[in-house]
Amino acid sequence: MKVLIIEDESRIAKRVERLTRDILGSNLNSLTVINTLQDGLSFIETNTLDVVLLDLNLNGEDGFDLLARTVSGAFHTIVVSANTNQALRAFEYGVLDFVPKPFNRDRLEQAFNRIVSEHKEKSHEVKYLSVKKRHTIQLVPIEDVIYIKGAGAYSELIIQDGIKELHDKSLEKLEQLLSPQFIRIHKSYLVKMSEVKEVKVSSGSKYLAVLKNGESIPIGRTKYKELREKWI
Amino acid sequence: MALAQDPVYKVHEILYKIGDDPSWSSVQLDDSDWTRKPPIMEDGRILWYRYNIEILNAPEELRQYGVQLEAYGEYELFWDGVLIAKNGNPGQESELSPEGELWVTYSIPAHLSDSGNHVLALRASLLHFPDHTRIFEFDIGYYDDLLTKGLIENAYMHMFAGAFLIVSLYFLFLFISNRKAYSTLVFSICCLLVFGLVLTVFSREYLPMHYSLHVIRLQVISVLLLGISFLIPFYFSMQFPFPHQKWYLIVYGGILLVMVFIKPHAFGLKSIVAVSCTWVFSFGIVVYGAYKKVKGARLVIVTLLLSMAIFAGIGFVVSLYAGLGLILLGMLYLLSMRIRDQQLAYEESLVQSTRLQLELLKKNIQPHFLLNTLTSLIDWVEEAPKKGVLFIEALAREFELFNRIEDKMLIPIDQEIELCRSHLEIMAYRKEINYSWEDEGIENDQTIPPAVIHTLLENGITHSLPLADNSIKFKLIYESNDEFKSYTFLTFATIAKQSSVLEEGTGTKYIKARLTESYGDRWEFDSQPVEHGWKNTLKIHSEEK
Repeated sequence: MKVLIIEDESRIAKRVERLTRDILGSNLNSLTVINTLQDGLSFIETNTLDVVLLDLNLNGEDGFDLLARTVSGAFHTIVVSANTNQALRAFEYGVLDFVPKPFNRDRLEQAFNRIVSEHKEKSHEVKYLSVKKRHTIQLVPIEDVIYIKGAGAYSELIIQDGIKELHDKSLEKLEQLLSPQFIRIHKSYLVKMSEVKEVKVSSGSKYLAVLKNGESIPIGRTKYKELREKWI
Repeated sequence: MALAQDPVYKVHEILYKIGDDPSWSSVQLDDSDWTRKPPIMEDGRILWYRYNIEILNAPEELRQYGVQLEAYGEYELFWDGVLIAKNGNPGQESELSPEGELWVTYSIPAHLSDSGNHVLALRASLLHFPDHTRIFEFDIGYYDDLLTKGLIENAYMHMFAGAFLIVSLYFLFLFISNRKAYSTLVFSICCLLVFGLVLTVFSREYLPMHYSLHVIRLQVISVLLLGISFLIPFYFSMQFPFPHQKWYLIVYGGILLVMVFIKPHAFGLKSIVAVSCTWVFSFGIVVYGAYKKVKGARLVIVTLLLSMAIFAGIGFVVSLYAGLGLILLGMLYLLSMRIRDQQLAYEESLVQSTRLQLELLKKNIQPHFLLNTLTSLIDWVEEAPKKGVLFIEALAREFELFNRIEDKMLIPIDQEIELCRSHLEIMAYRKEINYSWEDEGIENDQTIPPAVIHTLLENGITHSLPLADNSIKFKLIYESNDEFKSYTFLTFATIAKQSSVLEEGTGTKYIKARLTESYGDRWEFDSQPVEHGWKNTLKIHSEEK
């Protein structure tokens, strides 16, 4: 796992680093500590990462602009902050976890577990996905997203009115963030269940999810069983 | 105030003759060689007046007519040849001391007041004002009515005056308790002058006065009136400031002064001109105030217009007092509004002070500070318990210092420096940067609003990165001279790049609010990046200017 820590207080940075090394052990491939947000953001642009531990003073709109930029990346973001009153809003922006200061080893481990865990516990509802545009960051409201299609390392968001947007996170990472509102019905598709109108069985035991907008999306054979247990 | 009553007499002719003859008082006298034009006297010689009067109705039973006069000189008064009164010693004024009054009322014998023609004759001398050969006021009516009419009018006017005296004293006390509120003093003097004016004018019924003092009395009246004429617009100019105010007032005062010296005896005309000037100038000021949307200006315009309406409708003497009353009411209204505004501003300042206290308190318990500190503290305790204890002690010291200053508006500068040093100690444990503190020229007897330098220090810590040797230095320099005191606070560090344009943070707002609270507008604050890091300048100007 490749980890970046952005924290401007050296003592706390050292603590996060020490605990991270301890928790991840041999799973840790690389770990970088950066003490300013600006340097951190430019590091993100040029390096492949799995998780960013971010100390962000979220007081004021400024903090959330920066947060939107961070969460648009391909990696997961875990906020480590003293501003606990902003935690809910941070979750809406799509952070994987919010670790309030002061924290101990257990709490940090719990955050890391979310990354690797197959178990999809109900997390806080994400309200936006932040999408990188040429020069800006755009916040796409989750309620407008119908389904998400995997496109290699990226994902394609299919939004109301036929608009499509590319997102840097993989389908797996988005599934971790968006479950249980969205369900992986196929290895390439993540669908918002409220958009599914019916499930059709076509010739050759092929299953299709027919959406409210008329589109049909294939359902994976193994996924169909899961789906049936959960929804029927 | 005059009792509504049809006149009971008619004056047919007024005749004058210089000379002296006891028979000139007689009804039957042939007065064809007398002159109708009042002659100008040159000395204390005797002069006779003859009023040919027709009594229209005889008095009711048991009642008696009287005659009321304002006549200059000392005289004897005859009615149909009978001496009815002696007011001084005509012809002997230069030898005897002044005797007799200017305003008098005498009874007319009942048996001589049947309806028909009568003669009122005056045997007079006017040593002091030989050109005043006239009876200025003349009335015949029931004797007791003539006496009470004046008294009733006086009673009302004295009540009016009394109100002004009380208001004047009240505002004088207000001024004594707040020496900076000059408008209350001006208002107090203005009311006192009106009180004096009314008393001087309406004291004649009970204050005997010899006719020789007549000009002095008028001079007193016109000085009072001129004072009022100046103070009213002056007061309005304090309430509704306008450009070049001082010059306008000087010119206006000059005009009033010139009026004192030209035409020294045209008192009536001068008082009309003075009052008109007052009105016009005041009206101009208040209209300007209304144009500038100053609170209360419109209502004062209404009172001014109302006083003008009374002037146009009723005449000078009544409108003078009614108008003055109205204008002073308008001024009173303005003052009461200003006092209310001051009260509100005072309450506002209390709220502001409380808010600043809370702000100061919050500095130490805001989550960003407290929780980050605790996080570091946990780490120190886990990793190096002994250092952790020192950290806790430093933290306790800062809390204790905050506790001591939290309700103060100003604290000694060395206390502020102590606070900064303890904060640096805490931050050194958190950030593991070598912070150092220097000060220069500090005078221990100086004070400063609490946590002002501390706030600058916090900003300095947040926005700076350490130099190559992992150090950041802060330096506080104090300078003072006759004109100002100044604190320069320097940060020697690498300035962190800003992600966006620097807005005025809560810290800066706190500093400015604290400076305003303690120094009003006598301060300057400047904060800017410099080569070595950051420079803040705080200048407090001296009070005397």
